[in-house]
Amino acid sequence: MIGLQQPLLGTVETALTRSQIGILFQDDALLPWKTARDNVALGLIFGGMERSKALAEAEAWLARLDLAGFGDRFPRHLSGGQRKRVALAQVLAMQPKLILMDEPFASLDAIVGARVVRDVVALVEREGISVLLVTHDLEEAISLSDDVYLLSQGPRARITQHYRVPIPRPRDPVHSRTHPAFAPLYERLWPDLSHEVDHRAEAA
Amino acid sequence: MLLDPRHAWMRRLAAFALLLAVWEAAGRADLLNPIYAPSPSRVGAALVDLFADGRIWPHLDATFTAALGGLALGIAVGVLLGVAAALVPLIAELLEPVMSVLNAIPRVILAPLFVIWLGIGLASKVALSFILVAVLIFFTVFTGIRQVDRRLVERVITLGGDRWALVRHVYLPSVTAWVLGNLKIAVGFAFTGACVGEFVAATHGLGYLLSFAQSTYNAALMFALILLILIVVLLIFGIAGRLEKYLLRWN
Repeated sequence: MIGLQQPLLGTVETALTRSQIGILFQDDALLPWKTARDNVALGLIFGGMERSKALAEAEAWLARLDLAGFGDRFPRHLSGGQRKRVALAQVLAMQPKLILMDEPFASLDAIVGARVVRDVVALVEREGISVLLVTHDLEEAISLSDDVYLLSQGPRARITQHYRVPIPRPRDPVHSRTHPAFAPLYERLWPDLSHEVDHRAEAA
Repeated sequence: MLLDPRHAWMRRLAAFALLLAVWEAAGRADLLNPIYAPSPSRVGAALVDLFADGRIWPHLDATFTAALGGLALGIAVGVLLGVAAALVPLIAELLEPVMSVLNAIPRVILAPLFVIWLGIGLASKVALSFILVAVLIFFTVFTGIRQVDRRLVERVITLGGDRWALVRHVYLPSVTAWVLGNLKIAVGFAFTGACVGEFVAATHGLGYLLSFAQSTYNAALMFALILLILIVVLLIFGIAGRLEKYLLRWN
């Protein structure tokens, strides 16, 4: 969708331009020789914003992600959760309409991860950003999403199922796991996902 | 016995002082032949002498000029060729075998050739320093760029960075880090080149003085010069270390 790889067959259509799509990878991939603030400002500067203005904007985003006062730190001197927040600020500063996330929270330990996820959900809901999240975590998929698509095992992965998540927004990702709609959906999704995993085991 | 690591330098200093004391005592007791192993006090006196009448300065000047000139040129050309080879496959194809051969041989054997080509003046010493440093830096940069973290490249692209942004924000800082990581070795090479060049044929320089001390069997002067070169290189190591620490403070 963002042109890092070309589709084998068919085409990718989006109503968005390239600059309206942000990406959050599993690893934070911040430039180690730039401070947190410089890292966040990078995309803005590439977009043509004046440097001083971009840095001020970056500082504001760091503050919004609970990182006020950490702007001068280098990534090496930040914790895993803080680096994830910097990477997030970097993406959000570009004011995307859509963010692609590839297991972005997998590398964080439970409590830190839960806090980052909570803040992400709050910001994304407030700014009206769509998120396409790839995850192996069923609970994460249900508690964060409005729609869950089940992909078959690759190669040649396809969408095999679509489930709607009837949990209302705004959501708290921890509390939505205790919402009455959560458990039934989990019960439905679990066997389907297990089936796909078994499928791969057979193929192998 | 448990050693307190904080006092390591004190123990080293004490051991060194003890060695000097034994050496000095052995010298005064006529146990050592001053022609081969002059006592530390004689070496010290020779060192003081060099500075006292001021005749050392033109020699220091010559060696420094050759070493630093070769270092600067070597880094510049090494980085340039390294970047070019990493980015253009044809250049890598042509350059890599030449550089590998130059890397494999002891490059100081080129010293006599440089004297024939460039004369016994400064140029042949700069050339030897240069060739020692340039090959080292070439491989540092060449292998370094090919190992640049792909994720950082992808990150900059997805943030909307163009080719120039990649060079400026990913490749250049990476190259700087590798070059600085090898800066001390490069400094050592640069002085090796300068001194060996002067040793072969020269009218000035610490290497020339060494060769003079050798031909006159003046061991005290030789020790003094070795000590002086040691101090000079350690001093530059200190500066290089600081520069490295400042520029790599993110690490």
